[in-house]
Amino acid sequence: MKILAALFALLFANAAWADCPLDLGKGTGWVVFSDHYMIAFRPEPMRIEVGQPFSLLFNVCTKSNSPAELLMVDATMPEHKHPMNYRPTIVAGTNGRYRADGLVFHMPGRWELSIDVRAGEESERLTHDFILK
Amino acid sequence: MRRFLLSLILLATSSPAATQGLLDWSQDEVSAIERHGPWPPPPAHDPSNRVSGVPAAIALGEHLFNDPRLSADGRMSCATCHQAGRDWSDGRARGFGTADLDRRTPSLWNVGYAHWFGWDGAGDSLWAQSIRPILDRREMGGSAAEVGRLLRDDKALACGYERAFGNKVGDNDERLLVDAAKALAAFQATLVSPRTRFDAFRDAMVAGDRAAAARYTLPEQRGLRLFIGTGNCDTCHFGPRFTNGEFGDVGIAFFVRPGEVDSGRLGGLAKLAGNPFNLLGRYNDDASGASAQRTRHVQRLHANFGEFRVPSLRQVGRAAAYMHSGSLATLDEVVRHYSEVSPDRLHSDGTPLVRPLGLSPRQRTDLVAFLSSLDADAPPRPAPPPLCP
Repeated sequence: MKILAALFALLFANAAWADCPLDLGKGTGWVVFSDHYMIAFRPEPMRIEVGQPFSLLFNVCTKSNSPAELLMVDATMPEHKHPMNYRPTIVAGTNGRYRADGLVFHMPGRWELSIDVRAGEESERLTHDFILK
Repeated sequence: MRRFLLSLILLATSSPAATQGLLDWSQDEVSAIERHGPWPPPPAHDPSNRVSGVPAAIALGEHLFNDPRLSADGRMSCATCHQAGRDWSDGRARGFGTADLDRRTPSLWNVGYAHWFGWDGAGDSLWAQSIRPILDRREMGGSAAEVGRLLRDDKALACGYERAFGNKVGDNDERLLVDAAKALAAFQATLVSPRTRFDAFRDAMVAGDRAAAARYTLPEQRGLRLFIGTGNCDTCHFGPRFTNGEFGDVGIAFFVRPGEVDSGRLGGLAKLAGNPFNLLGRYNDDASGASAQRTRHVQRLHANFGEFRVPSLRQVGRAAAYMHSGSLATLDEVVRHYSEVSPDRLHSDGTPLVRPLGLSPRQRTDLVAFLSSLDADAPPRPAPPPLCP
């Protein structure tokens, strides 16, 4: 519990990050962050099923509050070195909102999602693991 | 004591299936088993086909399915190779038309639930896939003009068309070819395989009914445990249909004859891109575009070379001749293949999905017993209803 409180304190110590809306409309989702970026995202539909196409909705924020760009979203199964059979396309919205369409996790197991973002000259890859059953 | 022992022996021998017992299944295993059902699923609906699920279209489709006039020489119908009495296949190792083909004729059971069609996935809808053999010179060798003429000239078919599509047969032959294929697809989507011994076991396990679950024999249970456990089979043979609907290279020879390879999915994706009837084209009836998502986003990868569609395992014991090439004659040979497959042939960079399982003879027998429990007798089909009585 103390760790969680410390994590939140760390996250929201910076005013720009405190302004970053994490709720993408359904009151649930995931957050990944680095020294420079904080990214909230959720799937649509809400439940990711093996073999079923889904989209991801993103909110990309930076610590400096400078505009950031979502460059690419991809996923692999690290154990099998298996990519997705599908290449998502990204549609930019306003205020750091993005939508990636056309993802399909075609097998159960661990999938590593890669999220490439850029603000100015700085680009970075953030990752998130899904365990699909 | 003697009486008690005698009754115990009687109980054990009178109803073997009911008294063989139940393996000690973990909660994770029960969850894995649950994912292979329930069966049957709700009827398939294809938004790219405006007559999907329409009874008049299903009836028209069944008549067309059995009509040899769709072929150039008037001798071959869809039912020539997809025979109801042979579980919607032909019982041969490889298909044939006007020429011998290089791949096995796939069964049509549960085809309405698929999202890629053909061993190489060159079709992205059941109706587009139904056009292919009609036009293919090695198969039926027909044409849009001949299909159009048939629908216009045959009074019963013309009437059936009007009932199915709500308008009279027009003079656009390509449109009529597509509509005929959509009726064919509407019919094929009704071919749902019956419930099986596995389904009864699965439902009993989910309901916690141990007595009902114990009717599933111990070899079937042990085979299932291998399938969802160390065999790792359910990674690809996933879900109620026992397929994830995608593609894999499982170590079958690439060469179809000296100097000629079957590139599988790699070639299939090239055909898909060049197909005027794919879901990105003008014949897709789904205005939302959602049905074309896979086609829009699918990517062609080097790894697709030699990959073929993961087949459903329902009714698998009745397929007789296995793998895309029909190169294995029995289920035992298939299981032996996965037991002994060469890792060098599969050249995986990571932990390989397919690896030699090194199964003992009893494990092979158990796996075959489990796979056979995915079969069931289908009730006899009534004759198709008349189109316009």
